Amino acid sequence: MATTGSTAKRTPVDSFVWALGTIVVVVYALVPIVWLVSLSLKPADKLNDGKFFSGSPTMENYRTIFKDPQFKHALVNSIGIALIATVLAVVLAMFAAYAIVRLEFPGKKLVLSGALAIAMFPPVAIIGPLFNMWRALHLFDTWAGLIIPYMTFTLPLAIWTLSAFFREIPWDLDKAARVDGATPFQAFRQVIAPLAAPGVFTSAILVFIFAWNDFLFAASLTSTNRARTVPAAIAFFTGSSQFDFPAGSIAAASVVVTIPIIVMVLIFQRRIVAGLTSGAVKG
Amino acid sequence: MSEIVLDKLTKRYGDGYEAVKGADFTVADGEFFILVGPSGCGKSTLLNMIVGLEDITSGELRVDDEVINDVDPKDRNMAMVFQSYAIYPHMTVRDNIAFPLKIKKVPKEEIAKRVDEAAELLELTEHLDRKPVHLSGGQRQRVAMGRAIVREPAAFLMDEPLSNLDAKLRVQMRTVLARLQQRLGTTTVYVTHDQTEAMTLGDRVAVMRRGEVQQVGTPKELYNDPANLFVAGFIGSPAMNLLPAELDGGTVKLPMVDVELPADIRERIGDRASGRHLIAGIRPEHFEDAALVGDPDAPGVTFKAPIDVIEWMGAELYVHFTVEGSAHEELRELAEDLETVGLGPTDEAQIVARLDIHSEAKEGQDTELWLDTRKVLLFDADSGENLTREAAAPATADGS
Repeated sequence: MATTGSTAKRTPVDSFVWALGTIVVVVYALVPIVWLVSLSLKPADKLNDGKFFSGSPTMENYRTIFKDPQFKHALVNSIGIALIATVLAVVLAMFAAYAIVRLEFPGKKLVLSGALAIAMFPPVAIIGPLFNMWRALHLFDTWAGLIIPYMTFTLPLAIWTLSAFFREIPWDLDKAARVDGATPFQAFRQVIAPLAAPGVFTSAILVFIFAWNDFLFAASLTSTNRARTVPAAIAFFTGSSQFDFPAGSIAAASVVVTIPIIVMVLIFQRRIVAGLTSGAVKG
Repeated sequence: MSEIVLDKLTKRYGDGYEAVKGADFTVADGEFFILVGPSGCGKSTLLNMIVGLEDITSGELRVDDEVINDVDPKDRNMAMVFQSYAIYPHMTVRDNIAFPLKIKKVPKEEIAKRVDEAAELLELTEHLDRKPVHLSGGQRQRVAMGRAIVREPAAFLMDEPLSNLDAKLRVQMRTVLARLQQRLGTTTVYVTHDQTEAMTLGDRVAVMRRGEVQQVGTPKELYNDPANLFVAGFIGSPAMNLLPAELDGGTVKLPMVDVELPADIRERIGDRASGRHLIAGIRPEHFEDAALVGDPDAPGVTFKAPIDVIEWMGAELYVHFTVEGSAHEELRELAEDLETVGLGPTDEAQIVARLDIHSEAKEGQDTELWLDTRKVLLFDADSGENLTREAAAPATADGS
């Protein structure tokens, strides 16, 4: 909204500094990725040639990983687990945030601060107990066994993000919908939820990225292809011999798992625009 | 089409604060009824209680003899127009207006027909496919109206619908609203803090102060025969002049002149005024330039007034002057409630008089003014009660 406000008056010096800053940031952010891509395209014998672009790019590494059944399973697991965790976390967070913003109930502060406390909790501290619990509950090495911790650790963030968005929506809109004949749920679904869409997408991306990138839980709470996700699976890649480090395959797999994240962000970025509520009330 | 009966409605919050205290009146079928009062007087709370957005603590709310205290707002079939308009920003104008019908699962063709009719009535036809963000304030206001009328509800409830519009548009929309209501004949309850809106729009008006209904009546009744000091000071623009007074036999001693009361007024007061602090109320138009009094037989007194400000507005002429006299505490409190500013020092009272435009009064000069003694109102300063009231019925609320 107000991001372009300061561009009106810009001296040449300003422009130069801005341009320089932008270049530094972009290079800093992109060099590892370009490196990864270049590595993934190198034939095995040129991996250590120390060049960025060594000529004769090959898709061999990609073919290798997709021939590996372990990787295909891991990809399916990753997509399934991340999507389910995202949907569940966002839906739950929407209800929770709406209630927190609109209702007065005892323990409201407790819920909010409790959620924050969970978000602060170091995940590594619960891995041990969780491992034992999950084995006892037969959740070890299942999708649910990963979805539950992912939801737990992302719900607080989603609730806080969404309550910030709900708070921006004028209460009069809920009331108008109720007077117009809507049940509380209809008012929520047809009026409030669409207006909170940017918040929903923001939280969805955050949850998805967390679940997609997680290595800690995925490595500790899985043991087979049943639920092992890509970050964990990459660690189990082996080269052609025990002395051969499969750098090319790892690079190729990393590129493949980065693509969904980029696609997600590009799709939803367009939707994450604030100001959707402008025009609801006299501004 | 419905009659709304408020039977001792009270709203008490958890902390014991009473926002509405025993509101008790009936809105007749098809009536344009106004709730008016300064901010924080409970008028919006009362409206929300009628529409069902606020719970009723005690009392009964009946629509056509059916108690609806516990009926969900969605089932009350009342349409509300909010001060903020509360238009759904993600829907087009058409979808906004159609929303209540879609919720009610009205057939599609029927929805289209009724939306088009409402849009035509409100001159919104060409904007139907636009999003609210592209509309002007007046157009948004009309969308909110459209959403209300398309339902053919039992009653319209409006919460300061015009107060976000600029002054000129507000006057225009006021007329539009009045016509619309006449044409549809739907019972309407309208909340405003603007006494001009209340007087011009309302069939009947309820004046509220601090959660209590002070008086219910037609604009004329409120203006000519206010139940108490608050109503007298609130209704009318410029406001009624309120002065400390003493009653001595049949004579009222005002700061600037002694006034001999006509016999019928003296009779009405009876002995209720004895031993009481009194406040006299005189409307600006009951003064006149002594040289220009039309009716020589009208009973009146003349006095010299040191005019300090003159406002000439073509058809009207107002003169301001100050008289000495310490104001009663009730007047101070009243001024706070009425949100009047510039009350001046405590030992002075400022008076506005409306004179014939041919008056030759000049700023900074003493002018001989005439006062119609038949029109002087006397109030009990402590209870606020109008002692000169024509209606024999006691005031709706006995003071404050």
